Amino acid sequence: MSVLRAYDVTKWYGDLEVLRGVTFEVEPGQVKVIIGPSGSGKSTLLRCLALLEEPDRGEVSLEGRRPQPGEVGMVFQRFNLFQNMTALQNVMCGLVEVRRLSKKDAREQAIEFLTRVGLADRASQYPDELSGGQQQRVAIARALVMRPKAMLFDEPTSALDVELVREVLDVMESLAREGMTMVVVSHELRFAHHVASSVLMMDEGRIVEEAPPDEFFASPKEERTKRFLSLVE
Amino acid sequence: MLASFSLHLFWDALSSRPFWRGALLAIEITVVSFVVSIVIGFFLALGRSSRSRAVRGGVFLYTWIFRATPTLLQLLFIWDALPQIWPTFRHSWFTPFLAAAIALSLNEAAYMAEIIRSGLLSVDPGQELAGRALGMPRRRILRRIIVPQAVRIVIPPMGNEFITLLKLTSLASVISVTELLTAAQDYYSTTFSYTEAFAAAALYYLVIVSVLMLVQSRIERRFTFTSRTRKRTAAAPAVPAISHDAR
Repeated sequence: MSVLRAYDVTKWYGDLEVLRGVTFEVEPGQVKVIIGPSGSGKSTLLRCLALLEEPDRGEVSLEGRRPQPGEVGMVFQRFNLFQNMTALQNVMCGLVEVRRLSKKDAREQAIEFLTRVGLADRASQYPDELSGGQQQRVAIARALVMRPKAMLFDEPTSALDVELVREVLDVMESLAREGMTMVVVSHELRFAHHVASSVLMMDEGRIVEEAPPDEFFASPKEERTKRFLSLVE
Repeated sequence: MLASFSLHLFWDALSSRPFWRGALLAIEITVVSFVVSIVIGFFLALGRSSRSRAVRGGVFLYTWIFRATPTLLQLLFIWDALPQIWPTFRHSWFTPFLAAAIALSLNEAAYMAEIIRSGLLSVDPGQELAGRALGMPRRRILRRIIVPQAVRIVIPPMGNEFITLLKLTSLASVISVTELLTAAQDYYSTTFSYTEAFAAAALYYLVIVSVLMLVQSRIERRFTFTSRTRKRTAAAPAVPAISHDAR
């Protein structure tokens, strides 16, 4: 039984068909890593899964129904932390504004999740005062605190300086180990190798190939995949 | 050269009741028009990016009319012409003060709309996206995330607008609002001491604007989102130059 499911998801931007009937599902605790050239529709697919975009055709479901606000967590390439709030306020925001928790309860939970990503001591800093890696970890805590059924990561490390990538991947790895269902768009192939349940190749709005990481990297079947991997590695 | 300047008369004018009453009145009109124009301007700004063509057209028409005609004409229109077309305005509640406040609010809103719009647009679209990903309704995103960040951007140009409004209140002297300029005129019409009268009025304007500048820098600091005391160098983005001469 799948948690998160996309069925025949199609999306147009004007005359451009960005997603051409994508169907895929994620089972509980699975980590799916999506790779593919830019413009292949990876980000758009994630945005459809997070309901940030409404598909023109097809549907997205979470446990067989339409996801509720905050049920699918999203982490962005450029972190998108609320600039007018401290790290703590960022993490509290969803609990207070969406879940209607009291400030006190929200604060307690927010601190718990900031501690989990190792940033409890940065609670009162504003995003501008944090490194990219720290910002991304706060962003992960902000999504996690909503207790999502699945987490989506849209190139979470591509805006980071190399030496900051590790700390973010570590948090994601520990999340995966704890059994979080995850869909990750990323070109961190080592991460994909270690953590993914399966790796998907997207191109021109379609999923071209899907396989467990060992198989995917050792013996890709599709020509597109081979060519792409040779460019990335 | 300064033989004709009498400190005594200057002080007499400065401390006279009509002057400080006039200054108070000018401040009142300015503050009321400032607040009202921000409210109207906010909705005009939202209207400009509305999906409805009629709304966008309406906003364009409004901005066009209020920016293309002289403020003095608008003021006289509201005070003299409005009661002719609309009998409600012939009653005693329609005071010159009210007429001035309405005219300046409507006029200023056209300028505020542009400032607020550019402020809202300056906020990274990723902020709204992140709010939506958390499941926040649009209004909440606007209120909690976008507006607080836009405030930082709009403070300097809004400070300019406040000063402009303050100076525009002197136009209200033509519809018998007894503001500062009227006080000065009344003063020299009996004493013939033009220099002292105008100098006293000018000093009031200078003091009011100086206080405003202080308040503005306080508010700017309040909306700069850092936990440390902020560096002065990280100051506001350049203020777009808007020429007010033609108003």
